[in-house]
Amino acid sequence: MQNRRTLLALTLAALPLIAPAQEVWITKNTAAKFSVDLTELRASAGGGALFVQTLQNDLVRSGWFNIARPATFTVRGTAAAGAGMSAACELFDNSRNRALLNKAYNGTAAETRRLAHQAADDIVFAATGKKGMNGARLLLAGRMGGGKEIFLCDADGGNLRQITHDNSISLAPQWAPNGELFVYTSFRRNNFQEINLVDLRSNQRTVIAAYPGIDMTGGISPDGGSMLMTLSKDGNPDIYVQGLRGGAPIRLTKSIHAGQASPCWSPDGNAIAYVSDHSGQPQLYLMSRGGGGGKLLTSRGSQNVAPDWGSEGIAYCSRRGGRYVVCVINPATREDRQISPGDCDYEDPNWAPDGRHIFCTRTSGYRPTICMLDTMGDPPLALPLGSGDWTSPACTR
Amino acid sequence: MTAKTWIMAALVVSVAVTFGTGCKRTKAKTGSGLGNGDLINGTGTAGDLTGLAGRDGFGGKIVDGQFPTVYFDFDSAQVKEGERAKVAQVAEYLKANAGATVVLSGHTDERGSQEYNTSLGENRALAVREALTQDGVDAARMQTRSMGEEQPKNPGHDEAAWSQNRRVEFQVLGSK
Repeated sequence: MQNRRTLLALTLAALPLIAPAQEVWITKNTAAKFSVDLTELRASAGGGALFVQTLQNDLVRSGWFNIARPATFTVRGTAAAGAGMSAACELFDNSRNRALLNKAYNGTAAETRRLAHQAADDIVFAATGKKGMNGARLLLAGRMGGGKEIFLCDADGGNLRQITHDNSISLAPQWAPNGELFVYTSFRRNNFQEINLVDLRSNQRTVIAAYPGIDMTGGISPDGGSMLMTLSKDGNPDIYVQGLRGGAPIRLTKSIHAGQASPCWSPDGNAIAYVSDHSGQPQLYLMSRGGGGGKLLTSRGSQNVAPDWGSEGIAYCSRRGGRYVVCVINPATREDRQISPGDCDYEDPNWAPDGRHIFCTRTSGYRPTICMLDTMGDPPLALPLGSGDWTSPACTR
Repeated sequence: MTAKTWIMAALVVSVAVTFGTGCKRTKAKTGSGLGNGDLINGTGTAGDLTGLAGRDGFGGKIVDGQFPTVYFDFDSAQVKEGERAKVAQVAEYLKANAGATVVLSGHTDERGSQEYNTSLGENRALAVREALTQDGVDAARMQTRSMGEEQPKNPGHDEAAWSQNRRVEFQVLGSK
């Protein structure tokens, strides 16, 4: 009897906050899961099977589901490849005996994986009320021989393609909110930096900043109109803001004998987080969007760098106990939590659109790869990108 | 650094900033904060990745590795006393060769954030530039550039390698 009571207490403790209470929960790893049954989703060979396989992987990757039978949810329908790809998915809630989603996904055969990502995000939203992350796309810097080029891939690491072919060094890509434009820093002009704006719809590239000294990208504002940068044209590396389509840069920090880096916007566009070493070590500071008066965010960690401000807090990289770890801090309460394990170095965090996962670099044996961290406790998941050094993940929101 | 040298350094910077903000695009001033253009213009090629081998945008001969490299402590952009003579040697050369200009390339080791390392590399180059101005070289003859952690001199992953990678290199342009 004593044992049974303990078991009940543990089960209650594992209940997640967002779910209807009558459902059956299965916990796997650390985070709580819904169970979902995909055996009633009939697939034709080839394209249909690819759709179902991609959907299944996406649902597991989302962190919200385990594949099981019987299950709380059943996905019913068909996925058939003919001239193109045609799928129909119904999400049925067995505990409440009703359909939550019924949707068709049609496209070309080449769009099969994208359609499955879309279906996965729809299922995540219907079951949990949360935005999914499977339809997101990542920009990366990949080292090829002596240089670094910008690459684009899906959130699961699939569909990897090379965007720049500069035979130079390309760094620090940053998305515009529309997911069609991005900026990056290029060394292609004799190793002097410049910031390039790329339009993926037209494959056009425009140089939008090429000042003396450094030209490093920062975040693009939530309204898509402005870009933060680190420039040293007036002396030290300081933070500036400039229109994405041009105009004069406006200086936001003024330092002497110090360096600033990595500016990013708050989700509402009213504040900026950035790195400064004016105290002697690189640390995180907050300022208003008009600049001036930076306030120290945290004094934990001998270094705190690479902030990315999302709806669930500021993800950043902290040096603690001889390792680089990814943490999340609430800028209002200063509540701070380490997300990555301590097995190796995790750096350069970037929020996924679901506000739950964080993409980052994981460096083991001095080889950086991209992995996805889960703020709700699942273990890190590596992206299968193949050989090469992969850094600077930037995810569409 | 003594209080006196700090004041001098601050003066140099403030003079440089005041001077810099007065420049228009049409004026061909150069330097980290002092102008509108890098010393070298043109399209980068794969050959540029290993440094400024060859010629600059004005057809001048670039001399690479003519002067010894200045090394730095971890996470520091202070020119160490022991490295100061290397800077003085470059200053003497520039004063004796009025037509020469110099690119100062700042580098860091691989540890830490790539973006912060770009700023740190630039600050190392700026510190050397400031030391050169203290030695009497016109700031307009110097251009800083940061490679961050992208071009290690030693590809190793220990302190012996890192100490060689935290550096500023001199590339002299337009000299005889």
